Amino acid sequence: MAHKRRIGVYICHCGGNISDHVNVKEVAEALLDEPGVEISRTHMFNCSDASQQEMVDEIKEENLDGLVIASCSPKLHLFTFRAMAERAGLNPYQYVHVNLREQCSWAHTGDKVGATEKGINLTRAGVAKCALTHPLTAIRIETQPRVLVVGAGVAGMRAAISLAGMGLSVFIVERGNEPGGWASQAGRMGPDDRYGPEVVANLLAQIRNHENIILYTSAELTAKSGHIGDFTATVRLRGEEDVSLNVGAIVVTTGFTPYEPEDGEYGWGKPGVVTLKDFRQMLEAGDGPLTYNGIPVRDVGFIYCVGSRQTKGDTCPEPNTYCSRFCCMATAFSASLLHEFEKESGQTINQYHLYRDVRTYGHLEAVYTNARADGALFLRWDPKEPPRVEQSNGRLAIKVKDTLLGDEELELGVDLVVLATGMTARKNDTLNNVLKIPESKDGFYNEIHIKLRPVETAIDGVFIAGTAQGPKNLAESVASALAAVVKTGGLLKKGYVNLEPLIAEIDTDKCVWCNECLKACPYGAIERVLCGDKEVAMVIDSSCKGEGACVPVCPQDAIDIEGFRDNQIMAMIDASLKELVAA
Amino acid sequence: MLRASSELAARMKEAEGFNAWACFHCGTCTALCPLGYEILPRKLFREAMLGLEDRVRASIPQIFSCLLCRMCEENCPAEVHIAENIRTLRYLINRQEFGLK
Ligand SMILES: Cc1cc2nc3c(=O)[nH]c(=O)nc-3n(C[C@H](O)[C@H](O)[C@H](O)COP(=O)(O)OP(=O)(O)OC[C@H]3O[C@@H](n4cnc5c(N)ncnc54)[C@H](O)[C@@H]3O)c2cc1C
Ligand code: SF4
Ligand code: SF4
Ligand code: SF4
Ligand code: SF4
Repeated sequence: MAHKRRIGVYICHCGGNISDHVNVKEVAEALLDEPGVEISRTHMFNCSDASQQEMVDEIKEENLDGLVIASCSPKLHLFTFRAMAERAGLNPYQYVHVNLREQCSWAHTGDKVGATEKGINLTRAGVAKCALTHPLTAIRIETQPRVLVVGAGVAGMRAAISLAGMGLSVFIVERGNEPGGWASQAGRMGPDDRYGPEVVANLLAQIRNHENIILYTSAELTAKSGHIGDFTATVRLRGEEDVSLNVGAIVVTTGFTPYEPEDGEYGWGKPGVVTLKDFRQMLEAGDGPLTYNGIPVRDVGFIYCVGSRQTKGDTCPEPNTYCSRFCCMATAFSASLLHEFEKESGQTINQYHLYRDVRTYGHLEAVYTNARADGALFLRWDPKEPPRVEQSNGRLAIKVKDTLLGDEELELGVDLVVLATGMTARKNDTLNNVLKIPESKDGFYNEIHIKLRPVETAIDGVFIAGTAQGPKNLAESVASALAAVVKTGGLLKKGYVNLEPLIAEIDTDKCVWCNECLKACPYGAIERVLCGDKEVAMVIDSSCKGEGACVPVCPQDAIDIEGFRDNQIMAMIDASLKELVAA
Repeated sequence: MLRASSELAARMKEAEGFNAWACFHCGTCTALCPLGYEILPRKLFREAMLGLEDRVRASIPQIFSCLLCRMCEENCPAEVHIAENIRTLRYLINRQEFGLK
């Protein structure tokens, strides 16, 4: 150690959460004996404004060059105390956090003596680590003011327009021949009766008029390199030509695939059994009466929850356990479309809606209320006895046990059965290989935090929105697209981004370029470079997450992770076992 | 097996003042009805809307016992005009629309 350190140690009561089970005074006193410790004291709440101000003053007055906070989990307050260190003029990476709550007091509630002893050891380890810290600066990356949007459904189109409105350049890559996604085929859409193709046409007109947006159709993202703020994306056009795009962020809006029923599932495959999409298109088709195979339709049965909310069973080994959210509203809205048709055409049509639970949440409730007010009959079935669809006398018969009418089975003769098929995750192997966005167990892309970080992914600079992230109706798809716009704008409009400097470092003298670290790194953060004549490994600062997979595999012991260096870890072990080592 | 009748179901839609489709089966009406018939009034309405002739016919004593007290209607959250609907059923039965001879 070059010079003697001046470390401040602050032990927190956490208002009793810690001090009820750990004698914090005793911990503070014990720590005064550690080498380098100048100050060691307790606070009722380290995080309170008053305590923070006291610590800031002391760091300045005592000229401290190290800080150990022993309190709750760093998940809660790491950034609080880093900011506090900065206010005190101390490098934030010379502050070390010790978790005395989750890892000590809460874990040893019945044993104050033992917990106190452990608290002392944990804090000593923190001090030992702190003594070996040195100032670090965040890695600063210049960001490119361009965005790649993958998928031109409503979510992707809406995101592109708003991103361009922020002054960013946008490239949209759409795999199909036409933009628009499913909304192009959904006809008149609820809850507010907007015509899907028209919604799409309006968005497309705005995109065509925007000089900052380039839309590629019949195109696919086939490769990506670089890192947050500065990606290079390779896009294949019409399966032949490649273009290379330099972008700062990627927004993935690749949508969903409607559930495809199994053969025979609710009569699927029998004439007259159709999906909601088919039904919406039938309603739109002509001015004449509503017919199926030339026969006028008199009774229609709608079956809800098809392919959603499934339970595991012999016929369904991998159930879609989730609710698809849009289908109750979309089907109940179709009831009103059918009523309107009935009124205009004079053709009498009975509607039976066979549901499990009606989930027209929020203001969508009005859609359900309207459907009932107009004369759609809603019958509830039990998932243990789902409706069966059979052919009888040239028509279809739905057999169902209506929970209200009790045990006797009810037979409904109908001309059409409309299946409200849910949403499933889209198969997207090429894209998944390129972007490697984690998926939920249902196959939709996973956000970092469902409540607090709903459009960010584990891949920095890659955002998700719309139904690619999970089932949503149109309005929700747009809301999430705009959330992704805000996150993307926040990232790119500043011009730079700061990354954690707690990353791997390679000792090029020791390295013999055996390639082991490159194979171990899940983030592709290792590169081969020449150091003079010698081939060695190099860490790409902006890609490394400091995850540490490379450290144990290196046969030369040439890698250290900043903040978790070998000498720090060894010192922590020694310090926490001080009594044993001495004995 | 109960068989719904398309014709009767359609007929119900034309019956004046009948609006039981709005019912969402909360059960408030049945719980409050001083007559305590399980069939009154929501189950009865369901049977009528499905055109379950036999079932409706079997419930004629209950349909004509209804006091039209509106205990149910007063508390129905779906604004079903329950007493009016029962009157409509009586009318249809008198007109022999439910196969009564
Ligand atoms: C029959 C039906 C009726 C509906 N009715 C209603 C309604 O009444 N009200 C309502 O609010 N919602 C309704 N919805 C839901 C609504 O359509 C969706 O919420 C909305 O369209 C989702 O938009 P999206 O952009 O997330 O996905 P999508 O529409 O699926 O768009 C995704 C786009 O990404 C493209 N893509 C996919 N993979 C790639 C790739 N690897 N590379 C490039 N491009 C790719 C696709 O080709 C597609 O164009 C209905 C849906 C259906 C199917
Ligand atoms: S929205 Fe309704 S129909 Fe769709 S899965 Fe959920 S409960 Fe079933
Ligand atoms: S594992 Fe070690 S020796 Fe091998 S290339 Fe990486 S740093 Fe060099
Ligand atoms: S109006 Fe008839 S059905 Fe309603 S509570 Fe009174 S008796 Fe019962
Ligand atoms: S109170 Fe109204 S909504 Fe509730 S079950 Fe009776 S009729 Fe239906």
